Amino acid sequence: MTATAKQIVRARRRATAAEAWRVFRADRGGLLGLVLLVVVVALALLAPVLTDAGGLDVTRATGQALRPPSAEHWLGTDESGRSVLLLTWWGARVSLVVGLAAALLSVVIGSLVGVLAAHFGGWTSRILMRVTDFFLVLPSLVLAIALSTVLERGLATIVLAIGVTAWPTTARLVRAQTLTVEARPYIERSIALGAGHRHVIGRHVLPAVLPLVFANTTLSVASAIIAESTLSFLGLGDPSRVSWGSMLKAAMDTGAVTGGAWWYLLPPGLGIVVVVLGFTLCGRALEAVFNPRLRGRS
Amino acid sequence: MGRRLAATWVALLVALTAPAPASAQQEQGATLRIGLQQQFDTLNPFLGITLAATDVFRNIYPTLTTYRAEDFAVTPELAQRWDHSEDRLTWTFHLREGVRWSDGEPVTAHDAAYTFNRMMTDPAASTANGNFVENFAEVTAVDDRTLVIRTETPQATMLAIDAPIVPEHIWSRVPDVAAFPNDEMPIVGSGPFTVTEYRPGQYLTLRANEDFWRGPPRIDELQFVQFKNSDAAVQALRKGDVDVVRGLTPAQFDALAGEPNVEQVRGQGRRFYEIILNPGATNSEGAPIGTGHPALRDVRVRRAIDHAIDEQVLVDRVLGGYGQVGGGYLPPIFEDYHWSPPQRRAFDPALANRMLDEAGYPRGADGIRRTAAGEPLHFDFVLHGDESADTQVGQFVKQWLRDIGIAVELQPISDNQLGDRTTAGDFDMVISGWSANPDPDYVLRLQTCAARPDPQGGGTPDTFLCDPVYDALYAQQLGEFDPAARAELVARMQQRFYEQATGLILFYPNSLEAYRSDRFAGFDLQPAEDGVIVSQQGYWGYYGARPTQAAISGAGGTDYGTAAWALGGAVVLIGAVVVLVVVRRRATADSRE
Amino acid sequence: MPETTTAPEPAPTGAGRRGRGLRALRYAAGKLVGGAVSLFLVAVLGFFLFRVMPGDPARTMTRGAPVSAEQLAALRTRLGLDLPLWQQFLHFLGDLLRGDLGTSYTYSRPVAELIGERFWPTVLLVGTATCLAVLLGLWLGTRAAWRHGGAFDRSATSVALTLWSVPTFWLGLIVLMVFGVGAGPIPGLFPVGGMSSPDAPPGLLPQVLDVAHHLVLPALTMVAVIYAQYLMVMRSSLLEEMGADYLTTARAKGLREDLVRRRHAVPNALLPTVTLIFLHLGLVVSGAITVETVFSWPGLGLLTYEALRVPDLPLLQGTFIVLAGSVIVMNVLADLLYRVLDPRVRES
Repeated sequence: MTATAKQIVRARRRATAAEAWRVFRADRGGLLGLVLLVVVVALALLAPVLTDAGGLDVTRATGQALRPPSAEHWLGTDESGRSVLLLTWWGARVSLVVGLAAALLSVVIGSLVGVLAAHFGGWTSRILMRVTDFFLVLPSLVLAIALSTVLERGLATIVLAIGVTAWPTTARLVRAQTLTVEARPYIERSIALGAGHRHVIGRHVLPAVLPLVFANTTLSVASAIIAESTLSFLGLGDPSRVSWGSMLKAAMDTGAVTGGAWWYLLPPGLGIVVVVLGFTLCGRALEAVFNPRLRGRS
Repeated sequence: MGRRLAATWVALLVALTAPAPASAQQEQGATLRIGLQQQFDTLNPFLGITLAATDVFRNIYPTLTTYRAEDFAVTPELAQRWDHSEDRLTWTFHLREGVRWSDGEPVTAHDAAYTFNRMMTDPAASTANGNFVENFAEVTAVDDRTLVIRTETPQATMLAIDAPIVPEHIWSRVPDVAAFPNDEMPIVGSGPFTVTEYRPGQYLTLRANEDFWRGPPRIDELQFVQFKNSDAAVQALRKGDVDVVRGLTPAQFDALAGEPNVEQVRGQGRRFYEIILNPGATNSEGAPIGTGHPALRDVRVRRAIDHAIDEQVLVDRVLGGYGQVGGGYLPPIFEDYHWSPPQRRAFDPALANRMLDEAGYPRGADGIRRTAAGEPLHFDFVLHGDESADTQVGQFVKQWLRDIGIAVELQPISDNQLGDRTTAGDFDMVISGWSANPDPDYVLRLQTCAARPDPQGGGTPDTFLCDPVYDALYAQQLGEFDPAARAELVARMQQRFYEQATGLILFYPNSLEAYRSDRFAGFDLQPAEDGVIVSQQGYWGYYGARPTQAAISGAGGTDYGTAAWALGGAVVLIGAVVVLVVVRRRATADSRE
Repeated sequence: MPETTTAPEPAPTGAGRRGRGLRALRYAAGKLVGGAVSLFLVAVLGFFLFRVMPGDPARTMTRGAPVSAEQLAALRTRLGLDLPLWQQFLHFLGDLLRGDLGTSYTYSRPVAELIGERFWPTVLLVGTATCLAVLLGLWLGTRAAWRHGGAFDRSATSVALTLWSVPTFWLGLIVLMVFGVGAGPIPGLFPVGGMSSPDAPPGLLPQVLDVAHHLVLPALTMVAVIYAQYLMVMRSSLLEEMGADYLTTARAKGLREDLVRRRHAVPNALLPTVTLIFLHLGLVVSGAITVETVFSWPGLGLLTYEALRVPDLPLLQGTFIVLAGSVIVMNVLADLLYRVLDPRVRES
């Protein structure tokens, strides 16, 4: 008997997933975004296999400084004679990791605040939402700058600075969704049957909220990647690591812009645009999938 | 709503386009516009320490002596001549007659005495130039033309006092120097130029002083235009919005080659660029401070590290060839004092490895060497996060040291934090560098025991060398008044410094500048050979600027009229489109309703 | 963000003028108190954030000049650094209320004065850019929603989304290279930086034109990046409105379709968008920092950038408090204004 119940659940899940995929597939923008992301992520993951990391070592760089694209270096060279193509390729890894980690951090904070505010209500909710609203209107870059200035420089600081400034939208979204979920009769029933906070949140609220959180994370990654590049551009990044932001900063500092070194300026910038666009498109499509209210809008 | 919008637009159009913008160029003289990337920290000469600010002070305030443009030789300025007592403790300066402040008051010895006394008694006033008066016992004005300075001990640097002198009748009314911005226009001074307008963050304008005792400058106006990144400054030079830019990166400098109407100036730099290896920092009481790695206390390790660094590659790659390979402590621009090691520590990783093997630092299983106590040679390398050169040097050094079994972690931080960590001795390796002056005393002092921080953390240490041999030589040169003998002592100090290898002088970067050759025929460079225009030790660059006829009649620069008309045209066009749309809307609205 | 959860309160029965006035007062007071709390939080954050900073402010202020231990101690006393933290905080609050934000390390001038100089250029830039972006976004968003799914909708949405994915500073650099310096056949039409040319002729009109000339590129860059969010919000809220019941009623009354949209749908869809304009002001201010940096626009953003490079902590603290504070004040104003504008908020 339990087996059949499991089977039913499994079948229902499969059906839901199929339905979600159908809706997602119908969104051409979302599909394009997914393709972009799959390509970029695959390239980033395969970088150690397809390329030689030794090319990132300045003492072994063979090219001349700031040369335009040629047969040897398809996207030209940087100020140390390294291949811009190789740097952009490896830079994707850092940018993606920072973007994902920061987005994850912000979504975890946001979901926690949102669920708690919605579930407990009353003063907890009022205080949490007060804080959320406060952080929501705060110019996040200003706060992130302040944080990265006072903390030691490094990737962890960047992740932290973005993570703790970007969560309020998620918190509001999750709170709204949690409230809708908790208003459903089956939750009332389970509370009446003696379910505790942990049970309600863990078993009912979280599973219902997660899809939306997932869509939201996707959107957060997009803004986190932009934030990373902006902080790096302002000189708050970790210059010993190659990311798209630090490449642009290096291009700026060494005067590549004046030197007309478009091959050094365009690849990292376009990389950011492609990845951010990919995440944005995917995120919007996912939102439409998981939040039927939004369907038909995009 | 549509009608109101249309009305607004019409009003805007009338306002913007009716009177033709007067492209009034009623100039009789030329304006020299310098593009700066640095801020004026303040216009208060007692406080300002940035190159940008001190450059302005040299042009608006008199000094006792100055450095000649051709060769940095000391030359009379406000002080026409001078003499000293037998024991060299009392110096008498005879000041020039007929020099006036820009408000008409005469410049007298009382102004000079007031300035130095204020620096000696008011801590705030000693912020920028306090080192000049450290050894002063008494400064008095005997009469309007005679200034007498008594020092505690004989001082060979008495003729290298180029601290700005301020008008007593203005500054005696300033109770708190630290809080005084000195931004009341025009600023009362007495140099070849007078500051007349200052818009913080935008520009600073100076008018030529027609009554300057050397004669008025050839230009009418001098302007410092501020840019936030060097690229913007270079773009402005290309468009002719500024006449001179400095501090170019190699890439920018190369990009300007062949640009029409732009002339490049590759000057020798006054700076040396070094890596400090923490030799076991101590404070002025001899107590160890900081977190320096024990292995670096071993001079053999420090020398081995130098053998693992290829300075020529750094000059080629980081400086794009625009610099000289380092060696002695003082840069070659100051020929009299520059010293080159007769036997350089050449780039030789194999030798470096051998030296470390012999010194007793065997490699561990991970390839990293260990001290006798088993501590891995893992060094923190502190860099200026803002300097692209630091980042590049750091990357090279990290790779090279890995080849000799030393692990390096790069730690880019802000300038301030770097200063704090250097002073506290909290580093294994750190990048440093100083701009040397024609008189080497200031930078030489940095390596003495006296330069170490006091127990409270005050002071400006550099490499924490603190070597008795070096200190004895330092004291000797300060009291040596024969130039050749002093130069010999300074050379021996540099040799000692090189042998101790607490600071590895990597290179002396060139100073890269460019100017508009259609507006300026030339400048008085300092030094005459391979010299610079901006930030000289004197005012020659701007004072001797030779404008072309085009600059004098006001051609070149921003074509303001055309730009304004282009903008006006764009506004008219947008307005017309809006009006058209609104009118069409209104025409069809009736049928819609 | 549509609030899906707050159930509308039952309409007050027989609410007279006095009741409504009282409620309005209570609403305003609530918003004002909320704003005051937020401002206090900004002050708390501003104070403690910058006390975490490693390094001794007294040493930083002397900038490596040779000073004695006594001088350092005197400086610490003058700065109040020897007091317990909570006392320092009280002093800080008191100074803040008097408009005293401390003294900048780099400029040796009061921070408040420096900020005062840079405030209006930022208002000019952010104001111009926001107005243009809002107008453009609303207009395009409305058109896109009307022809939902059409070619215009698709192209407007994709262009907006792409521009929105571009890092502001990077776009600024490209714009600077193309329109400031000139690239290929395009001549450099606009200044590469600053807010005014020192050689602009005197007189009000030429000066205004000069500033406008400098404003074009930075304002355009900001508009390009921020208009997308207004477009998307306007479009989606209009789409939501277009399915609403009262529109069906209006249509049933015989009103023509375009009138239904213009008279009924657009005004209602505007309201959530207006809230968002103010909520997103923080994002716009963030964008201003990078745009001002790229174009050397002498505003608060540039001041922030200059301060963080040193880092000049009192200045950074000051710009943080002023930027965050102004955004909060603007939001409170918007909340109050919103109530005046929207009868639904007034009634509920």
